[in-house]
Amino acid sequence: MNKKFNRRSFIKNSIAACSLCVSGAGSTFLFPASGKNPFAREAKYYEKQGEKKVTCKLCPHECRVADLERGTCGVRENNGGTYYTLVYGNPCSAHIDPIEKKPFFHYYPSSLAFSIATAGCNFICKFCQNWEISQKRPEQVTSAKMFPSTVIDYARQNNCKTVSHTYTEPVVFFEYVLDCAIEGKKRGVPNIMVSNGYIQEKPMRELCKYLGAVKIDLKAFTDKFYRDICGGELKPVLNTLTVLKQEKIWFEIVVLLIPTLNDGKEEIDAMTKWIAKELGPDVPLHFSRYYPTFMLKNIPPTPPDTLLRARKIAMNNGIKFVYVGNILSDAESTYCPSCGKLLIERMQFVAEIKGLKNNKCKYCNTLIPGVF
Amino acid sequence: MKISRRNFGKKLGTLAVGFSAYISSHEKSYAAPQKSRIILTQSEKLKRSGYTLPKEIVSPFLDQAMMKLTQSSSPLHSWKSLFSPNEKVGIKLSCLPGIHLSSNTGLVMAIVDSLIACGLNPKNIYIWERTQRELETAGFSSKNFKCQVIGTDSGAGDGYLDNIEFAGSVGTRFSWIMEKVDALINVPVLKDHDLSGVSIGMKNFYGAIYNPNKYHRNNCNPYVAELNTHPLIKNKLRLIICDASRIQLNNGPAFYPQFAWEYGGLLIGTDPVALDYTGWQLIEKGRKNMNLKSLSEIGREPKYIASAASLGLGTNNDSLIIKNFTGVQGGVFLKEPPVRRTNE
Repeated sequence: MNKKFNRRSFIKNSIAACSLCVSGAGSTFLFPASGKNPFAREAKYYEKQGEKKVTCKLCPHECRVADLERGTCGVRENNGGTYYTLVYGNPCSAHIDPIEKKPFFHYYPSSLAFSIATAGCNFICKFCQNWEISQKRPEQVTSAKMFPSTVIDYARQNNCKTVSHTYTEPVVFFEYVLDCAIEGKKRGVPNIMVSNGYIQEKPMRELCKYLGAVKIDLKAFTDKFYRDICGGELKPVLNTLTVLKQEKIWFEIVVLLIPTLNDGKEEIDAMTKWIAKELGPDVPLHFSRYYPTFMLKNIPPTPPDTLLRARKIAMNNGIKFVYVGNILSDAESTYCPSCGKLLIERMQFVAEIKGLKNNKCKYCNTLIPGVF
Repeated sequence: MKISRRNFGKKLGTLAVGFSAYISSHEKSYAAPQKSRIILTQSEKLKRSGYTLPKEIVSPFLDQAMMKLTQSSSPLHSWKSLFSPNEKVGIKLSCLPGIHLSSNTGLVMAIVDSLIACGLNPKNIYIWERTQRELETAGFSSKNFKCQVIGTDSGAGDGYLDNIEFAGSVGTRFSWIMEKVDALINVPVLKDHDLSGVSIGMKNFYGAIYNPNKYHRNNCNPYVAELNTHPLIKNKLRLIICDASRIQLNNGPAFYPQFAWEYGGLLIGTDPVALDYTGWQLIEKGRKNMNLKSLSEIGREPKYIASAASLGLGTNNDSLIIKNFTGVQGGVFLKEPPVRRTNE
């Protein structure tokens, strides 16, 4: 369309151009010299403040972010008072995994999950196994272009039952997870999320409308651990777990036990009592073995006995499905809580359904919670 | 093994030598100097006309300030007192806010010329920032400089060293350039920062690590201070030349012209704490003149400066900072800042 330039429109356009010039926008990852970052989208949950500042409302950090700065996650940037995610459709990791690796034990066991992650995390867990992507900014990793419809295409082409948002922290690539989940729901490929649960209630409830299942890493049951080891707080994570319960979405919990830091009997006892009371006895609970890595190399791996002891405490507190992970043991398999028979046999990531029929124990007809 | 008298004496001697070496290295590393000298030079000529200042204008002011700082009789002697010809020197810039508020190209050219005059090989001088893109946006390219102009992201992999290093509660990976160089010149700009209060010299080293976003809580305190205790910074930092040609008094770190003070200054020192402290006071003075509340009043006091002092990185005791104010206008310290144009 041709548009005539009169004096008024010329002045108006000149002022607009000048204001763009002084915003310094040209120096950012968002607006590289070659044009706008193709993976940038306006973020969903944030509030605009005065003076081009924003407050992120996605996770409980509620980062206040000045112009040209990023939040704690490193993947969201304020540019001129608008907050952007920089990683939409830009995964740095994509693999096909057994769903047991997540781990999900009561959600389509023995199926494959098309697993993706972008850079970034809102925590800084000193024991992070995936720190080489989770603790980096998008420009510090090699990434691919993979928008939501392509993600679902790849999942279907590779016989994956689900798409798993995992490895780093899906909360920080919320918009991407959401659109993949919407697309997946339309096309019969449920999306699942492996998360630290450090997310505000409103975005979590929005995700629950479209996700198939959620796995939460409950890092510990003390605020001190969350503050000192992870850079977060316990309470918002517990809140997320209760939201998941209210939303009636399938979820499982993993606790990585680290000797001396979060493996005390009293702590496990308090944690599992809380789970049984607030979330119910049917929530699968996994105790995993820690290995030294990243910033926590001075503590040896968790002794298997510690995991088995924690399992015993949890079962004594009424939790029916308690597993141990990262070690080989019978406690990886699922047993009927009524008759004790083997229902799903597992060895590491290989699962075989043995005594389950239509969500029920084939020996005693007890209903087994989950999505099978 | 039996301890004979001779053995005992020998061991005691070794121990004494070791202990005295420990004390001496300890003093060298941690003990704050009795007094720290900060040179502030200011002139109408040092105000930016547009983006930058010509090197020819900056050089005489830089020379004069360096002589005052090192108490030397000539500019060459002053630079030689800090740098040796066989050394590799990194010049860390601050380029995040774009060309309007980045370290000035003319100032950096003057620094490079001085290092070359000292006998340094231009190939051993690294002008650097986080990314090549940031450098280019701020006007720094290899075409304009005799030495290397290089972003951390130009290094192997993601450009950061593989090892995770610790400094207090900060765990991080450093830019490969930090390991490559023998000495560092920090060339920050003087600006307000929405979270840390101010961003001057010590905060500029957030641009040398791969995960700065993890350390912005609690006004960046004590993280900025702790980061600066790491040997890669503490043992290599020789000189801080803060570009105060234009000072951002509010709403930083981005550039907002309504809060910019065309100050026309350079702030130079070797004590990172004293320099940040002096810069902070200057920002507070400018804010007051602009009818802005002090950083303490709005919960943004840069507490990391006091933390850095308590960690022995330098002094924030005003009485221990020797401030030399120089300039062609006879040592004028403050020029009235512009009248505030917008409401905060």
